[in-house]
Amino acid sequence: MHQNASLCRTNKHMRKDYKKLFTYLDSPEPSSGLFDRIIFAIKQEQEKRQTRKIAYGFLALLVTSLSTAPLSWSFFSKQITESGILQFLSLAVRDFSTFTTIWPDSIMAIVESLPITGIIILVLNLILVVFTLRLFLFKKRVLLKYFTQNMAFHM
Amino acid sequence: MQELSDSEIIADYLNGNKESLNILVGRYINLIYSFTYRYVGNEEEAEDITQDVFVKAWNNIKKFDQEKSFKTWIFSIAKNTALDWLKKKKAIPFSNFENEEGENTLAETLADPASLPPELFEKAEIEKELNSALEKLPPKHRMVLFLRYNNDFNFREISESLGEPLDTIKSQHRRALIKLKKFLTEK
Repeated sequence: MHQNASLCRTNKHMRKDYKKLFTYLDSPEPSSGLFDRIIFAIKQEQEKRQTRKIAYGFLALLVTSLSTAPLSWSFFSKQITESGILQFLSLAVRDFSTFTTIWPDSIMAIVESLPITGIIILVLNLILVVFTLRLFLFKKRVLLKYFTQNMAFHM
Repeated sequence: MQELSDSEIIADYLNGNKESLNILVGRYINLIYSFTYRYVGNEEEAEDITQDVFVKAWNNIKKFDQEKSFKTWIFSIAKNTALDWLKKKKAIPFSNFENEEGENTLAETLADPASLPPELFEKAEIEKELNSALEKLPPKHRMVLFLRYNNDFNFREISESLGEPLDTIKSQHRRALIKLKKFLTEK
């Protein structure tokens, strides 16, 4: 017990001794501009991260909208031919007077034959294409800069 | 704001207060700079490394476990960044950073790292001598002493910062003191 206490005292003394010694060491100071440089570098990194997010988002949207466009179009056109709406429409054009006399029934028949699922899918796809195009137009400079920089880096 | 703990400042930053980042950088800039300076011994490089350290810390701030100490976390980033920098430069043999096998541990156990001779403190050129003695130490030993006596870290904090087991740090500390004392008193 007594030995432990004395060891502890020696340790404390030793630590004080070396701490004092290290106070003689001149602590180097960074230049005054370093703080601003760090904040600026972090901001740049933040922007880079933001641009990366936009670029990946744009690519994902582009791939999705382009790859689903033919599928949704073929689904839509298949539904159109199968629904018989084209027949209803051609009949309405060929015999317009009958169409107008029984117009509520004629319109109801056309509406009922509408391929709703196909239309919804196609419209969603078109919205996606328009949104992708809009994103590209709004962020054109940022995206082009990011892609050209990355291409140059990989080449 | 200045009195807040590191964890509170980080939480504040993650909650959207951008000013908190400035406070955190301001709090650690000098410590990290002097730490990296001890590694590379060059002001310009130390500044570049310090900048890298903070950018890396910012990049990973969301992954930082707020239950742990930010101080030891950022020092471990600083250590790794400084080592990467040195590796790129290949300025020092990396055997210095590997384990210290081959050292005479028996002689070290017998040696006394304790109190320094009082006349040492009377020397006029003590800073120069201390610097040159520290330069002679292996980098790991130097950093252990530096963190312990200059930055006031405890052994656990040094162990977390340098990514070494606690016992290894204690033994490195002991060896470093013995060597330092030897270098300082042999003149």
